[in-house]
Amino acid sequence: MQKNPYIPMPVDLVKIVTEVTTKDIKTFRFSFVNKEDAENFKYLPGQFGELSIFGKGESPIGIASSPTQEGYIEFTVQKAGVVTSALHDLEEGARMGVRGPLGNSWPIDYLEGKNVVIVGGGFAFTTLRSMINYMIHEGNRSRFGNITVVYGAREPGLLIYKDELAAWEKRDDIDMYVTVDKGDEAWTGREGFVPTVCKEVGPSSENAVTIICGPPIMIRFTLPVFFELGFSKENIYTSLEMRMKCGIGKCGRCNVGEKYVCKDGPVFSLAELDKLTPEY
Amino acid sequence: MEKRLIKKDALSGIINKLSEQMLVYAPVKDEDNVLFKVLEKGMEPLADYSNTRNAPKNFFFPKTETMMRYMRTERGIELSGEGEGAPEMVLFGVRPCDARSFILLDKVFDQEKYKDPYYIDKREKTTIISLACVHPPYSTCFCTSVGGHPMSSEGADVVLTDLGDKYLAEFVTPKGEKLLEKMGDLSKADDAAEATKEELSKKSEEAITSHVAGREIKPWLDENFEHPFWDTIHQSCLACGTCTYLCPTCHCFDISDEVKGSDGKRIRTWDSCMYWLFTKETSGHNPRTSQKQRWRQRLMHKFKYFVDNFDAIACVGCGRCVMYCPVNIDIRKIVNDISKL
Repeated sequence: MQKNPYIPMPVDLVKIVTEVTTKDIKTFRFSFVNKEDAENFKYLPGQFGELSIFGKGESPIGIASSPTQEGYIEFTVQKAGVVTSALHDLEEGARMGVRGPLGNSWPIDYLEGKNVVIVGGGFAFTTLRSMINYMIHEGNRSRFGNITVVYGAREPGLLIYKDELAAWEKRDDIDMYVTVDKGDEAWTGREGFVPTVCKEVGPSSENAVTIICGPPIMIRFTLPVFFELGFSKENIYTSLEMRMKCGIGKCGRCNVGEKYVCKDGPVFSLAELDKLTPEY
Repeated sequence: MEKRLIKKDALSGIINKLSEQMLVYAPVKDEDNVLFKVLEKGMEPLADYSNTRNAPKNFFFPKTETMMRYMRTERGIELSGEGEGAPEMVLFGVRPCDARSFILLDKVFDQEKYKDPYYIDKREKTTIISLACVHPPYSTCFCTSVGGHPMSSEGADVVLTDLGDKYLAEFVTPKGEKLLEKMGDLSKADDAAEATKEELSKKSEEAITSHVAGREIKPWLDENFEHPFWDTIHQSCLACGTCTYLCPTCHCFDISDEVKGSDGKRIRTWDSCMYWLFTKETSGHNPRTSQKQRWRQRLMHKFKYFVDNFDAIACVGCGRCVMYCPVNIDIRKIVNDISKL
């Protein structure tokens, strides 16, 4: 019989980075306690894991690291409920559990040879960061065409992965457009909402795919921009969130129509979503 | 398939004898109810009863189940166990609708990619003896409309059919045949018994008078997620969840942690799509805020989504939700009303 999918693998919390000035979003780096767990945890950008804190419960969180980053996995988590609050209280060196990898991934095979436009808003940039790091890795970069990234937050202090954003800006094989709704005195970068910036950037829909994650309001206003640019629903992908427990399609709560977001998703194209019930 | 005859007055003794060798659950009288209980010395297993109030799904998918235990140590918290393995057991006296529910639950819990070890362990170690419904017990029975039959052997390892003065015992699976070895010498069934069974089967099928348009409404459901009809079914619903708890095929569950001192456990508990908390996210967002949406989910899951995924209706027609709904919501009427739209 295969391994019990409900039993978390033990991990050590080896590094915590506070991402935002409000201090409620942190990136947690874990290393596996058991070597075989580290070897078996084979994932792709877009997949998620169940973070497991004994005595508190579990929380499904997208994997923020890229499989090209070996030796650890990372999750960027906003402090929100019981489990994520307990996680935020932990210190480096703590031991906890992870289940996964779960769900499908960004459509890597489909993206190969195509131009990729990545659009992210606020804290919903975690699995997109995984995707970017995956694509720009020296072993992978030639598999993809142009990479364009539009990433925005409400204010400069809420942009996550600031060091990486700066490093990506310096590269000439990725076009970065980082924006904030409203800057502060220190901000010298772009100001403007994500949909507006997408319109200004105006990436060609020729042989291109967009993957987009962000608050619903951002997605609502960004999609028309991409339709106007000629992107078809088959070429726009997003990732859904739903309340989850088991993560493996049994507990019954994260369905959208006949699909379970945990095992058939979380990544869907707009064309796929159109076929499902509008209940998410 | 091995076929035997069991004299009527010998059955109780045979089942009791089995209970001396292994764990046997059987329907027994408990005040006004019939419940599956561990058969102990002096208890009489009922072979002539209608059906239990609770579906027997709890034998494989208990209301509450420990998934793992852990304890606080100096290093933090460490796993201390994954729960005990299940014992070999016999589940005697299951009605064919309920036996068939196990086949449907298997589709959820025993998938190729993700197997549920708690369910599968118990399921594999249990031998199911079902009692064919020669006389379908309730006017609310509608198994024939959702892919079942009052004398179906689906999901059973051994099927007993009441032929009047004796039972025809059919050992339909290898697990059932293994049990035969423990049941002592039984005379082989003759062709006459087979013929009688065929005749009874036809009669019992005819005796099911409640019919619903089970598969027929699928095309409508495919097209009408939004429709004024959905405003008409939930109005009286109390969101009590009785229908889902009594349902032999409902499988939704919650996972939570319980801690006592330095020991803790992770448990799973039946949950219900009838509750608003079921889908409420930490952010406050809830994709199903109204009972209308939750009722639509329940009906859609049984008559559309499950059919899409597994080519079967997630209902066995036992009628429990119809009988025990405190406000008389009748899923048969809902399905039939849809079929007229």
